[in-house]
Parts: sequence; structure tokens; C-alpha cells
Amino acid sequence: MIEKTFRIKNKLGIHARPAGQLVKVATRFKSAIYISRNGNEVNAKSIMGVLMLEAGHGSEVIIRINGEDEFSALAAIEELIDKRQFDEE
Amino acid sequence: MQTMHAESAASQEIRIKGLAVSQGIAIGPAFPFGSGLQDVRPRKVPEAEIEAEVQLLTQAIESAKRELTLIGEETQERLGERSAEIFEVHKLILDDPEIRGEALRRIREEQLNADWVFLQVVEKYEQSFSHFKDEYMRARMTDLQDVKRRVIRQLQGAAKSPGDGLPGPAVVFAADLMPSETIHLRRDYVLGFATELGSRTSHAAILARSLKVPSVVGLGPVCQYLSPGTPVILDGYSGQLILNPAPETLERYEKTRSLYEALSHKLARSRTLPARTKDGKDIELAANIEFFEEVKPAVADGAMGVGLYRTEYLFLMRDVLPTEEEQYEEYVRIIDALNRQPIIFRTFDLGGDKAQRHFHVHQEANPFLGYRGVRLYSEREEVFRMQLRAILRASVRGRVRILIPMISSVSEMRFCRTVLESVKEELRAAAIPFDEEIPFGAMIEVPSAAVSADLIARECDFLSIGTNDLIQYTLAVDRSNRYVDKMYHTFSPAVLRLIRDTIHYGHAQGVWVGMCGEMASDPLATMALIGMGLDEFSVSPVSLLVVKDIIRRVHFDECENLAERVLSYSTADEVENYLSSVFRRKFRDLIINDPNHPLVRREKS
Repeated sequence: MIEKTFRIKNKLGIHARPAGQLVKVATRFKSAIYISRNGNEVNAKSIMGVLMLEAGHGSEVIIRINGEDEFSALAAIEELIDKRQFDEE
Repeated sequence: MQTMHAESAASQEIRIKGLAVSQGIAIGPAFPFGSGLQDVRPRKVPEAEIEAEVQLLTQAIESAKRELTLIGEETQERLGERSAEIFEVHKLILDDPEIRGEALRRIREEQLNADWVFLQVVEKYEQSFSHFKDEYMRARMTDLQDVKRRVIRQLQGAAKSPGDGLPGPAVVFAADLMPSETIHLRRDYVLGFATELGSRTSHAAILARSLKVPSVVGLGPVCQYLSPGTPVILDGYSGQLILNPAPETLERYEKTRSLYEALSHKLARSRTLPARTKDGKDIELAANIEFFEEVKPAVADGAMGVGLYRTEYLFLMRDVLPTEEEQYEEYVRIIDALNRQPIIFRTFDLGGDKAQRHFHVHQEANPFLGYRGVRLYSEREEVFRMQLRAILRASVRGRVRILIPMISSVSEMRFCRTVLESVKEELRAAAIPFDEEIPFGAMIEVPSAAVSADLIARECDFLSIGTNDLIQYTLAVDRSNRYVDKMYHTFSPAVLRLIRDTIHYGHAQGVWVGMCGEMASDPLATMALIGMGLDEFSVSPVSLLVVKDIIRRVHFDECENLAERVLSYSTADEVENYLSSVFRRKFRDLIINDPNHPLVRREKS
């Protein structure tokens, strides 16, 4: 199992579109993927769950991944959150 | 007899005022939008039928997803990829393992009907959304509601969309039409759109204008007074909605409607004829547009191009700034639709709360005198550059001109010119083709620019007068302030002098002068503006035919005489009275004799 903390840098936070992107990336992998904020953990493959975190700009989220492809899953999520910043500013 | 009495007592005429966003008069039965859904009530499902109920929900979700795929494709085609993304999100919501899992489990455990259970599950999430602190996040509730309605509609075996549910021609009412709901509407059944919320740029308004059906938005909570079939009159000229019209009201509106129809039929005959005065002076008559959908209808009504393309739409409809590529694609689409007729791009004109989403705009005590239009460009030069790049790249496909909004000094114009030249240099270096001779103009809408239009004209290739702001700044009157709105006089001598001087200064510097403000669309002003020498009129699409009709019926020298006389008056009332008397004499056939429907319409710019 691996775990990593991210800071949300895009201006509007994880609103509908970024949440959709995250769920789409997460669903590509077999591993169970969770995302939590302030101790509230949800299934990262559930868009409602992700939206419910209300992770705005500047908030910190923890991604927890467990499964055979956990490393490639983490790499894909890093790419989305840190590198591409959900393709937003 | 008694029932008749009871009915007439119950069906009192009610009048409600909203914001007219698309012209025309619709008379017909109301179709309140929510009525597409029947009430959802809990119902015990017998043990033996539980799996069938589970199956029903799964199928409904799958059909809803197929529908969303179609809608997404249609939207992408019409409005581009970014706009279609929301439907991808809707599909993800339908695929959500938590929602689906909980719904299926609860059908089995509680042995209740699928639509009820689904509603409960989704509404639980809606509840949580409504407590969000972030307003933007809170607004996502509408997405959930859209998804919910779609699935329930499937489950109830109702039609695919409310449009298909229309029993026949009707005036469609809704709280606020959602994009996915309007896209399938059976267009020949929609007599008009009326919504409780909304503004000129809301989806229903845009769609109504492109379909050319009357529309009034911002009516407040009207749906509660309606049931399917309630007779209504929707007046897209005045913004009036009349429920249960009395026989004499109905008669009057029917008469007005047929007068309008006869008039527009008559005007339509000159669609393809040139906008030329009787003595042969050609006037460039173009249209103001905001969306791709407006181009074709405007050209069909004889627009010789676009005199004002408000580019803000792309910036306002999204949560993120449009990329250069997205802008380029949209611009190309619009330029191509014009078939080499000229188009003036007004670079993004944002200010006040409109800019908040993309720019760090502070609360301003006086936004109209604040941070707006060109004033944003120096701080956010990269956004301005990106738009210029997109426009320049698209310029090879047609005849493109660039117009800068809110110019109040020569230095601003010089700044914009420097940026433009540097973007051109960048494109040259990358061997990207663009129109080297692209005309570059200033919008004259601030008094300081009007009184120094000669200085500004030296810096550019054309001027375009924006009358709405020019009037409000010259007279120091905020038209939306009801305490002073009566002082907002289009025909104030001060305003007319600024217009005369701007045209004169422009011509003296060898540049042409157009007008894209509301006054250009005002038939009462047409002769005076021709007489002052205005070269180009850019009007709201609905005014194209009437303005052209006037141009074709006058001589240039009679317009000159009229302008001279108009400029000799001392008050706005004197000017307006004189113009009205001339109009009544010369264009009696263009006047519809109904106090609620004066011919002269005002449009927001």
C-alpha cells in the first residue's frame, strides 16, 4: 500500500471537471484508490465522493492506493494533480 | 352556466414582468417544465419482482448514459469540447459506484420502487452540496438535479426530453432550462421560452434567439401559477407575461402579432437588396453578434458582415480561461460562416463582477469608473496576447478587424498597438500566416476618447462608437438606477455633439467611423446618423431589416439637413419630438399602433 499527500494548486479546486478527470484516471487501475481530506476518506473512483471532499484551492488531500498496479496508479495521479494541475491555471 | 362562472373566477388575468431576451409574441398553452416528471412516491415492490426493479434502474441509467453521449456529441459540435465536458461529468455521476451501489442495495433491502430509491440517494448528496461554503461548488447541485431528472424520466417511461413530452405547440416554462434539456426540444412545438431565472446570456435566451422564438427570462416564481395548458401570452418585446388573458387582451395581442408579422414579411423583401440611399450612397450595414448561432440568421437578413463580435462569451461560459486553440477554433467557425464578409472582433471586454472568475478583481466602489475593458490588458497581458494570437491566426480565413474596448486615452491605444505588433512578430518568426494588413480600431465610448477622437484616429484604422457607455458617461447617469434612469437620454444634445465630432475627427484623419451601440439600431436615429456621415451601422440582428428599409427610402442630402436641424436643438425632448414627427410622416407604415409596442426597441450592448 502506498500513500502520498498532495496540495491542490488550481484556482477553483477539485470542482466537477477536475473531479471527473481524477475519477477517470483512478478507474483505469485495478487497485483500490482512496482520497481523503481532513480525515474524511472516500473512494477516488466515485465522483460524488471526490466532490464531497470540497477540496478547494490550497487544500491538502491524501491519496492512498492498494493493489497490484499501485505504483503506476500513483504516477498517473501525480501527473494529473501536480504536473497538469487538472489542465487549469 | 355556473361552471363557466367558476372557471372565469379561477382564471384571472395575471401580468408578470420579466426581461425580454428574444423578440416576438407567443400566444398558446403553457407547458411547465417540471411537469414532464410525475410525482415520485414510495411503493412496496413484491419480493418476486425485486430483481426486475433492480434491472429497471440499471437499464434506465444505461439509457440515460447513451442520451448523454449523444448530447455531449451535439454540444461539442455546436459549442466545442470544453462545453461538452459537463456531460462527461454527468456520465461519471451515473457510473458512480457509490450511488449505483447504494441505490441497488436499497431497492433490494427496503423492497421499494427504483425511482423513489434513486431520488432518495441523489437527494442525500444534494443536501450535502447545499451546505458547501464554496459558492462555485454549491452550484454543482444543478448537475445532480439534471442527472436525477434524466434517470427518473427514463424510469417513468416518459419521453426522452421535455420537448418530446410537448403535447403540441406550447410556451415552455422552466425554473432555468438546462443545456441538456433544451438541445433535443422539438423545435416546431416551441412557441416561446419563459424562465424564472436567467439573463440575456443564459442558455434559454441564446437558444430562443437562434430559433427566433420569443423569450422572456427572470420572471421570478411563475411556475406555481401554472398548470399544463394554462393559456398565456408571452411578449418578447416588452418582457410581459400574461396568464389567463382576458378576451380583449387576447384580441389586442393577436392583432399586434399579426401587424408585426405583416410588417416583417414586407421588410423581408429587401433582404438581398443593398443598403443604399435613394441617391446612391452606400452604407455598411452589419450585425452585432455574440454567438456562432447568430451569424447565419443575420446574414440571411442581409447583414453585410459583423460590426461587433462580443468575444466575452467564451470567457464567461467557462470556469477556466479559454485556450488559444479553443478561441482559434471558435473564431474560424464564425469567420467561415461569414463567407469573406468583414467581421470586427472586439477583444474581451470584462469588468466588474464579470471579470471575477478569471481576474483578481477587487470590490470596487464604482465599477463603471473602474477596472474594465482595456484597463485589464496591461496587468494581464498574456491573456490579451493569447486572444490576439488566436484572432490573427484566424484572420487568414476572412476579413477580420480588431476593436479595442473602453479606450480613454492615446497611450492605451499605443500600448495595444505595441502588443499587437509584437504578437505579429512572434507569428512571423514561427512562419504562421496571418493578415498583415489587419485593420485595428478603437471603440469610442468614453467622453475623453470622443473629444480627442482626432488624436486617437491617428493611431488606428477605424473608430466604432459605443453609444450605451458614451451616454452614461457623458450624462453621468446609470441607466439601471431607477432614481436617475429618466435622465438617460439617447438624444441629448451633448451626446449628439460627441457623435458628430467623433465622425468628423475620424474623417479628417482619413479613417472610417462606425457605430455598434444601441443607437445604431434605433430607427428614430437612422436618418440623423446618416446625415452626420456615419459610414457603418452595426445593429442588433432584429433591427437589420428596418434600418435597411429606412436607408433605402431616404436621400443623403435630406439626412444632412435633418442632422443639421437636430444639432440645433437645445434639449433631448426637442430632438426626440422632431425626430418622431419626421418618422411619423415618412415611415408611417413602420409604426405599430400599440402603446405597449412602440417601434423603437432598446438593446443592451
